[in-house]
Amino acid sequence: MEIKGSVALVTGGGNGIGEAVVKHLAKAGAKVAVVDMVQKNIDRVVKDIKAMGGEAVGIQANVTSEADTARYIKGTLEAFGQLNIAVSCAGIIRDGTMLSLDKETGKVSKKLGLDKWQAVIDTNLTGTFLTMRDAAEAMVNGGWPGLLVPISSVNKVGQVGQINYSSAKVADALMPKIIVGEFLMRGIRNIRCVAIAPGYTATPMLTGMNQDALKAILEDVHLGRLVAPEEIASLISYCVENEALNATTIEITGGLCYPRGIAK
Amino acid sequence: MPSIRYNDMQFSVEPSGDRWDITYQLPSGASALAGAGIFPGLPEAEAASRALALIKTIFPVGVKSVGPDVNHPNRIGDLKLVGPDVTHPNFIYWDKDSVSSPKTL
Repeated sequence: MEIKGSVALVTGGGNGIGEAVVKHLAKAGAKVAVVDMVQKNIDRVVKDIKAMGGEAVGIQANVTSEADTARYIKGTLEAFGQLNIAVSCAGIIRDGTMLSLDKETGKVSKKLGLDKWQAVIDTNLTGTFLTMRDAAEAMVNGGWPGLLVPISSVNKVGQVGQINYSSAKVADALMPKIIVGEFLMRGIRNIRCVAIAPGYTATPMLTGMNQDALKAILEDVHLGRLVAPEEIASLISYCVENEALNATTIEITGGLCYPRGIAK
Repeated sequence: MPSIRYNDMQFSVEPSGDRWDITYQLPSGASALAGAGIFPGLPEAEAASRALALIKTIFPVGVKSVGPDVNHPNRIGDLKLVGPDVTHPNFIYWDKDSVSSPKTL
């Protein structure tokens, strides 16, 4: 599928990986819908795309809401008349171990709150499901070629302190197999699905963290640096153009390893 | 430069070369973008019509109350507020009839 002339929708398009994806696709000639919770981020990205000579609409929305999802899919169709690429970048973290113990008594002093569990599952899993589902519905009904891109994470392998995040991201990584299998079963041949599982990426969330902690993280990355959001955007563009890529999850980590050099 | 008043919000459809930008005013008075560089080559009247259709889609009219949400109360100190969450993005505040969408009961 050619990027030029296609229409892309990116949730979480107001910053981080989403911003890089939306700008990369716009630069390559796609018309883009920037979906984000934060209006000022939407405005900044839409202005940048306009300055690049691109076409963009900005839609403030919450990906966990079914009504909002329908609204931004319909808004994209209203603006551009079709939808070809849907990338689900919206994501949050609410880290914490499931149990915390009192150092003196050894008894449980704190449990991971349901609020922290639910918020991450709602955004990172349900939000991705809703976007993929409604984007696919539009593509099927419109008869347009399409690519669905759930964003997983290398932490789908199971990261301590992230039972909520890892659980959501491993489920996101499974989506391409299930979605494409169902498409085959239903005779839907015009839509592909490829998930992307980034490693540690140079988003404001990571570059702003404690620099000693960041240095410790990078010791386990073969590349020796964080993955750039633009490198992930470039991979997604490649997925759009290479139709043989389908029903799979691609990791882009710079070679993230467990301590002592076993690749994750 | 067509100006559109819809659902008590003020929108502006402004030319940008042969394309169009849609801006609107936030309750704070600040300006926000609904679209930029869109509808290339369309004349003003058609761009305004397409813009209105887009605006109606992005900003639907209606009241959708969220709550009482007992699992996610708003807290003010020790006080838990479990009524409709007016800060929730799904909550549309509407206290009067809109000029562009009059009551049809």
